[in-house]
Amino acid sequence: MKSLREIQESFQRGILAGDDAILTEVKDSAKDRRKALFGVYRNAYVARLADILGEDYEQLHAYLGDRAFAKLVKAYIAANPSDQRSARWFGRHLPAFVRNGETYANHREVAEIAELEKALTDAFDGPDADPLRIEALAALAPEAWPNLVFVPHPTAIRLTFATNAADIWSALKGEAAPPKARHLPAPQATLVWRQDFMSRFRPLSAEEAMMWDEAAKGVRFGVLCEMVATFAGEDEAELRAASYVKGWFDMGMLAGCRTA
Amino acid sequence: MISEKPPYLGFGLGLRPQHYQEILDGSPAIDWFEIISENYMIEGGQPLYMLDRICERYPTVMHGVSLSIASTAPLDMEYLGALKRLAQRVRPKWISDHLCWTGVHGVNLHDLLPIPYTEEALDHVVARVRQVQDFLGRRLTLENVSSYVTFGQSEMTEWEFVSEVARRADCWLLFDVNNVYVSAFNHGFLTNDFLHGVPRDRVVQFHVAGHSHEESHLIDTHDHPVCDQVWDFYRETVGHFGPVSTMIERDDNIPPLAELVGELDHARSIARAVLGANRLEAAE
Repeated sequence: MKSLREIQESFQRGILAGDDAILTEVKDSAKDRRKALFGVYRNAYVARLADILGEDYEQLHAYLGDRAFAKLVKAYIAANPSDQRSARWFGRHLPAFVRNGETYANHREVAEIAELEKALTDAFDGPDADPLRIEALAALAPEAWPNLVFVPHPTAIRLTFATNAADIWSALKGEAAPPKARHLPAPQATLVWRQDFMSRFRPLSAEEAMMWDEAAKGVRFGVLCEMVATFAGEDEAELRAASYVKGWFDMGMLAGCRTA
Repeated sequence: MISEKPPYLGFGLGLRPQHYQEILDGSPAIDWFEIISENYMIEGGQPLYMLDRICERYPTVMHGVSLSIASTAPLDMEYLGALKRLAQRVRPKWISDHLCWTGVHGVNLHDLLPIPYTEEALDHVVARVRQVQDFLGRRLTLENVSSYVTFGQSEMTEWEFVSEVARRADCWLLFDVNNVYVSAFNHGFLTNDFLHGVPRDRVVQFHVAGHSHEESHLIDTHDHPVCDQVWDFYRETVGHFGPVSTMIERDDNIPPLAELVGELDHARSIARAVLGANRLEAAE
């Protein structure tokens, strides 16, 4: 008699690899053959995970269409047995799976749409933090500003797109016809974060992206201003830096600041 | 460690994100909510915020789907830690999961898989339930699952197995009315044999749900309204067990809240007709 461990290993192989050895351990019912009955488990595994991926990557599904999305999902499920207690995390490797696979090697926008959707999902239930309000700085003496260090909201995720994937995503989300995919003349920095329980994203100019990335590393505001001056000219560099920071406050992109 | 039997909560629903706002805006006549534990093992955002608000207003119980208590893989202490932390937040009236396994070798098949009903499996499950109860510092509540296959090596019936687990591990039972109905149809046993085969004093909750009918078998899909046959069996179940916290379980094709409240009212009216209003109110 097989041990419980052997039965479970065989059952799992039956689901994941289509191995029929488990059928010697289970019985026909009065109404059906064991292979058909075990098939309920085989079908449920793929169907359940496909549903989850469809929910997590709704716009990718819309972009690819039913047939291509089903093919992608089937390949992903076969290559990535779930190792998570919660199905919430099952699809986390899909962007890399698309990017590293051959199918969409010449359609970079497909992986980028997936990256954007994953980031939006991650921001949605990422860590909580009250957004820092600009009023918090009202009492600050002007000479303290150069030493300020800003703390990004913990849900903030920085992405860079080579294609117009974000525009395609937005059109599909609005149930409009997506623009034709194209490579951008220069990579587009994008920030995803959560504000008022909603995941959001917005493009960042190259200068703002540079400043955001440095700020996120803990670089002081005074040094950020010097970097901005070096990046695109000294003329009104401090004003440009201050306007970026104001935007970060206004959009809830910051969770805190401290004086270095 | 052993606590008193959990209180009778009345008639509850599964908490689903589609209904958050309506629940908070309208305070509908739902006595309690059951949450899927894994859905709230996240870091923050709207789901946890809504959960906190709803827990302030309604008694809540936690229902997991991936404890994998019958698996031969080692207990996942990281998962149990997350479950315990969530319980500290929710303060549930009880914590339940299924008498099943969900995977081995680090894989999760996201399904409630059956086991052979053998002495070996019984010893294994009982030891694991005791470990989990020691870790959580409270009794666990285990639910009978729907199944589609039976094992040649089973040495006892499902209800004998379920009952022995409850007695030996000293845990509670969640009697899923639909699952008994589905498994009885699939395996050709009588629902009443199961009903009369489990110890009354161990049952703290009922699930009532819908299922799908395939040609030769039923599938526990939780995506349909409760059918008449399951309501009939619920009637017998209530008559047998008396007042037990009852919940309508819908996981897919989630309808408007009012429709589920309607099903809940139907459950309430059945219990009232079977037991009498006085006995139900006394239980509350």
